[in-house]
This record gives sequence, structure tokens and C-alpha cells, in this order.
Amino acid sequence: MIPLENYLLLSGILFALGAYGVLARRSAVMILMSVELMLNAVSLNFIAFAAYLDPSQITGVIFAVFVITVAAAEVALALSIVIRLFRLRATSNVDEAANLKW
Amino acid sequence: MAAEITWWVFAVAVVAAAAGVVFSGNVIHSAIFLILSLAGVAGMYLFLTVEFMALVQLLIYGGGVSVLILLALMLTRMDMGGQKEKVNGAQMPFALLVAGGLMAVLVGVALGTDWGPGADGGPANVSIDLIGIRLFEDFGAPFVIASVVLLVALIGSIILARDEEE
Repeated sequence: MIPLENYLLLSGILFALGAYGVLARRSAVMILMSVELMLNAVSLNFIAFAAYLDPSQITGVIFAVFVITVAAAEVALALSIVIRLFRLRATSNVDEAANLKW
Repeated sequence: MAAEITWWVFAVAVVAAAAGVVFSGNVIHSAIFLILSLAGVAGMYLFLTVEFMALVQLLIYGGGVSVLILLALMLTRMDMGGQKEKVNGAQMPFALLVAGGLMAVLVGVALGTDWGPGADGGPANVSIDLIGIRLFEDFGAPFVIASVVLLVALIGSIILARDEEE
């Protein structure tokens, strides 16, 4: 039997790795991939809690469905913004697109 | 016992692939590692007896999102003239500190909390019937709104990515 804690540890490590990628990497596509890692960690957490602690309602699984839906929309929009940025500036480095930064 | 060993193989593969995503210097390698990591998480959903979510994960992430990311990578690659692209920004040590602290907090909370009687047994069998009932009856309105969100995202990304001069 795999206890619930194992899934929580796995998803915590995944989330921390994704957070590191978002903070450290400077390529916009890399930041996006790290965000995907974090979203996956969250989905895994939701589904683990649903399967272990809430098997009669499984609200966590429904949450994960919506997380995946929004993640798909987010990836499509963000990548089209990255492509537009690349066309304008010939770079996908987020540090070179900091005009709105105060 | 065999299930435990398989679980640990999957867990190590997921974490190793995720580390490959954030630490690899080559963005294409990162994207391949990302596909591996997402497929490993789909395997985790199989261990949690939620086969429907495992299939959705493979279809949407393995089939859709990863292809989209690879295409965007190819469209935004520059010829650096043999010069290696800088991987991390100047804030890399700070990022390491924040991510390490976050991991310590998450691990501490996961191990230090009493999750109640259900946490030590195996996962309950989640039937696909129940997922369908919950999704289409109790969460019907959010489901419809999610489809509107997807439609808006579709139109928005077409408008953003198309050529201006026609």
C-alpha cells in the first residue's frame, strides 16, 4: 500500500522544481514549461486527496479536470504571445521585454 | 510489493525528468524531459485508480501541449552563431533559495500533518461513472463556462499569432 504522504511528497518536490524553473530560467518558453510542471503537481495533489480522503464525492478529480482545461488555454495564449514577442523583438528572453516593469 | 517497487520507479522517473526540465541547458531537451515527466504523472494517476484522468493527461499534455511547446520552440529559436545561450538569469541563487525553502515547507507539512484514517490504506476505487455524474450534473455550469474559456482562448491565440499585413 502506498500511503497518501508519498503522493504529497512527490507533488511537493515537483512544485518546488517548477517554482525554481519559473524563477531562474529566462527563456519565456522555459518559464511556461516550468509552470506546466507546477500545474501538474497541483493536479496530482488534488487527485491524490480525492482518491484517498474523498472517494464518494471526488471533488478533487473535477478540480483537476478544470486545471487541465485552463492549462491548455493558458499554453495556447502564452505561446502565441511569445511568438508575437519574438516577431517584434527577435528574442524570447523575458528580461529583454521589461518595458512595463517599474 | 511489486506495486510499491513500480511506484517508486515511476516516482524517481517523474522527479528526475522534472529536474531535467529545469536544469537542462538545451530547451529541446527540456521539452522532451517535460513529456517524460507528464507521462510519468499519468502513470501516477493509474496508481490512484483514476484511469480517465490518466488518459486525459496523456492526450492533452502528451499529445497537445507538448507538440505546441515544441512548435513554439522551433519558431522562436535564434541562430546564436555557435555561442551558447545564457541559461539562467542573475537571480539564480535567489531562485534556488526560494525553491529550496518552498520544498522544505511542503515536505514538512506533508509529513507533519495527520491526514485522518483514510490516508494509510490504498486509494479507493474511483469509478468513471462517478466522474461523469459529478462533472455533468453537479458541475455542469462550470463545465459549460470552461468551454467558453477554451473558445475565447482559441480565438485570442489566432488573433495574437497571425500576421498583421494581409
